[in-house]
Amino acid sequence: MKVSRSIVVVLAMLVLSLLMALRSGARPQQAAAAPKTAAPKINESAEGEKRFRTNCGRCHHPPEDLSPREARAVLRQMRVRAMLSAEDERLILKFLAP
Amino acid sequence: MRCRRNLYLWASLLLIAFSEVPAKAQDLVPVVSGAAGFIYSKDSGQTALQPILSPVVLIPLGSKLLVESNLEMQGFVARSSPGGPYEGQYFFSVNYLQLDYVVNSHLTIVAGRFLSPFNIFSERIGPIWIQNFQDGPLIYPIGTRTSGSSDGGMIRGVVASRPGWLLNYTAFFSALNNSQYFSAGRAAGTRVGLFLPKANFEVGASYERFLQDHHSNSYGGYFVWQPGTQVSVKAEYAHSPQGQGYWIEGAYRFRESGPLGRALKNIQPIVRGQQFYRLAPGVNDSLPRADTQRVDFGLNYYLPHEIRLNGSYGRQFSSTGNSNNWTLDLTYRFLFPVPFWPKGAQ
Repeated sequence: MKVSRSIVVVLAMLVLSLLMALRSGARPQQAAAAPKTAAPKINESAEGEKRFRTNCGRCHHPPEDLSPREARAVLRQMRVRAMLSAEDERLILKFLAP
Repeated sequence: MRCRRNLYLWASLLLIAFSEVPAKAQDLVPVVSGAAGFIYSKDSGQTALQPILSPVVLIPLGSKLLVESNLEMQGFVARSSPGGPYEGQYFFSVNYLQLDYVVNSHLTIVAGRFLSPFNIFSERIGPIWIQNFQDGPLIYPIGTRTSGSSDGGMIRGVVASRPGWLLNYTAFFSALNNSQYFSAGRAAGTRVGLFLPKANFEVGASYERFLQDHHSNSYGGYFVWQPGTQVSVKAEYAHSPQGQGYWIEGAYRFRESGPLGRALKNIQPIVRGQQFYRLAPGVNDSLPRADTQRVDFGLNYYLPHEIRLNGSYGRQFSSTGNSNNWTLDLTYRFLFPVPFWPKGAQ
């Protein structure tokens, strides 16, 4: 009885979090759709930072002071661990070691 | 016979590895990263001091291959009896020693010894320089038996990726190994995760079939949610025939702006709640012997040069006895290139 109640609580938390996440996710999507005329050139370092925060920032902060050669080795490992795409790897490298 | 087969397997892997080293490898340099830490803990009145050194060695080979390894040297110094002298024990373990072959975004093939990919704690937030509470979750042994690592093969990658979602997978098989530093259980399992980048939300499920002694199934689920740059919520649920439970952890990093921003920006309060329910008695399953509830409060303080100071207090409630748990730890995360490696083209 106690066990099934805890499962219900966990499931309820999960569903609630999913609903809240979907709601908060809807806002930036609408905002991103608005400025269509400007079409600025993509800043690769800023895009890399965004991808770092999305993919890597869930577990840890960015490391300090990486040379490009060190960053490449670390990113190879993170590509496997965090299942990054080749494009993610390239852009995050621009952010970690511009 | 089995020894010769293993020899052929390793020889083939090495052959593939070294045949894949083109000139571009000169752009990559092997690095040593990881952390050194010192943990002071007082658990149920017993004080313990634990120095830890956990180096990670990364050796990229060409554009597709990587050898990665993590060793852990840990000491445990505590009184053998109340009022007695402090005595130390030292442990050495190989958490992983694996060869990764990145075929493309959809497929990476891993061979060797790797962290068992059940839920997310072991692979993603287990390292001492990442985890917020140095005491692992109560349900950690579920799905990670016998040592937290597996010896065998694994495939992983992204099934499909769209602007609004990404589906990833991992599947593995592990052979039984009873050696001292490479011990692993015979098991097979899989994990699937769905990530919604716009919401910064990931949800996933794990399944593992333990294939030695009494065969049994373990399964679990997890989610990670970061509604902004400051807040992070993580949770796991796991079930095995011996017991089931969950943990949920929240962390808040203060904003740099504001009147107290400069003082507070390096502080991160953390809280974790856990419940475990014993379903059947188990032998050496490393799970609590009875139903247990626990709540932990902690604080991370991030110092310059990758040094982190962490303190936490936990209260555990169980029919076998309630207890207080205090922890204070200092971790230093390091990263440097392997010395004397040729600089190559760069």
